[in-house]
Amino acid sequence: MNKPSTRQAILIYLLLAVVLIVFLTPIYLVASSSVKPAPIMFQKPPAFFFTPTWEHYHVLFTERPFLKFIGNSLIVAFGSTAISLVFGSLAAYAISRIRHRRMNDFAFWILSLRMFPPITVVVPYYIIFKTAGLLDTPLALIIVYSTANIPLVVWLMKGFFDEVPSALEEAAMVDGYGIIETFWRVTLPLAAPGLAVSAVFCFIFSWNEFLFALMLTGSKAQTATVAVMSFWSSDAVQWGRIMAGSFIILIPGVVFVLTCQRWLVRGLTMGSVK
Amino acid sequence: MAYQATRNRRIFLLFLLPVIAVLFLTTIYPMLYAGWLSFRNYDLAKPFIPRIFVGWANYAEILSSGTFLHALITTLKLMAMTLSAQLVLGVGIALLVTQRLPGMGVARTLLLIPMMISPVIVGLVWLFLYFPELGYLNYFLSLVGLSGIGWITTTNWALWAIAIADIWQWTPFIMMGTAAALHSLSPEPYEAAMIDGNSRWDVFWRVTLPQLKPVLISLMFLRAIDAFKIYDIIFVLTKGGPGDSTEVLSMFIYRESFTFWRMGMGAAASFVSLAIITILVTFFFKSLNRDRSAVE
Repeated sequence: MNKPSTRQAILIYLLLAVVLIVFLTPIYLVASSSVKPAPIMFQKPPAFFFTPTWEHYHVLFTERPFLKFIGNSLIVAFGSTAISLVFGSLAAYAISRIRHRRMNDFAFWILSLRMFPPITVVVPYYIIFKTAGLLDTPLALIIVYSTANIPLVVWLMKGFFDEVPSALEEAAMVDGYGIIETFWRVTLPLAAPGLAVSAVFCFIFSWNEFLFALMLTGSKAQTATVAVMSFWSSDAVQWGRIMAGSFIILIPGVVFVLTCQRWLVRGLTMGSVK
Repeated sequence: MAYQATRNRRIFLLFLLPVIAVLFLTTIYPMLYAGWLSFRNYDLAKPFIPRIFVGWANYAEILSSGTFLHALITTLKLMAMTLSAQLVLGVGIALLVTQRLPGMGVARTLLLIPMMISPVIVGLVWLFLYFPELGYLNYFLSLVGLSGIGWITTTNWALWAIAIADIWQWTPFIMMGTAAALHSLSPEPYEAAMIDGNSRWDVFWRVTLPQLKPVLISLMFLRAIDAFKIYDIIFVLTKGGPGDSTEVLSMFIYRESFTFWRMGMGAAASFVSLAIITILVTFFFKSLNRDRSAVE
């Protein structure tokens, strides 16, 4: 494509400015409202310059055990990320290396598991975890999130393993490495970027998840997303603390976008667009 | 490596076993359980009534009652609204940010942020914007001379309110995938088209778009699947209301199971939804495989 002329460039920048304002205003509102004093929360026109207050964050961490909820979110997110990475990358390696006509079907079966609406399995999960005495424990959420994350890891890692040149593996085998050693010492280190991307995606998914966390936890294992929603009440709208909690929750996602956006395409499309 | 293939295959199967075991326990078993449940009258609000076998009664009630059909239609309506807007806006913005001008990389990165935000937070932010009397959105509209809208309080607008939040979050997804595809397009057809004296619009319509088609189909498929899953944003904004104007399939299942505690009905509704999605997914994979073998 040709380089745009000056007039075209001005038009492009104008349109882009509108797009950026539309897409970034809601995020700006979360950040600014979280430090806005309650009386001017809905002041119109919105106050751009005001003395920021930390009262909402203060309430969050002193009157409410928000730190505990963040801790729960972290336990669940790290736990399910670890499990998904181990199980997922092992399976991905096998799927990438086994030459069998049914292997493709198997891979698609795993992928299809990610496509079912979560709400359809909430009822059975609820009853099963209730029977097993796992309701309101981090373990229940770790299991559920791993189920959702494993298909993603399998598909992402399969793509990365496919790209490892087979000559390297053959050389390792000639040197007397077994399959497991070859996988551990040669292939996996070469696919390390894939592991990092998969880990981040698993973490963000678990950290952001709401539906299962709402259904399967009570006061003990509640995660941050559910806690923020619980600040909402119809009589007294606690917008300051809702926004403060929301801001804390959106930090990992924003950091991820700003640091490794070049992997986003691949992760979000399950490797179908590279 | 053919000489050690059989021994290797056995080790590889060992690699697969944990995943098969986990996925069996966490998906197949719950689904079988849901299947069993869907033929039963299981009322959690009345725990002492035995969970009697009711045959196809739950399914019959779902398929004959207007509410399930209404939820299905609402889901499809919402899907059509969000997907079409995301496609047009996403491709449009992708064409902007792939121009060879300074600053485009930064703009592209910033636009990706909404996707990584928890849907429940997206719901809360938009609730803040839509909030009756107080929300900023009507104020922004009044600045450009538009009158206020009862976003989440009127049946006409509630579905749009949800659609707008979803469009805001996921237009960047189409933008991102399209921009990546635009960068990988080969330049030759463009040079040929330019030499033939076509206008920019013609080039886009006849050269760019056909080349983008496979990527766009994949992206739209992923969005369609997500549109069936939509839950969090609706839970925060309208909980299916006002009336039943935003009651999509997932809200219907939620209500049957956790408001009325009719677990059997919820399970049956889940299964009907699963059947619809399975048909959609199978159809897509079939056509994907066909495309792939056509290329080979």
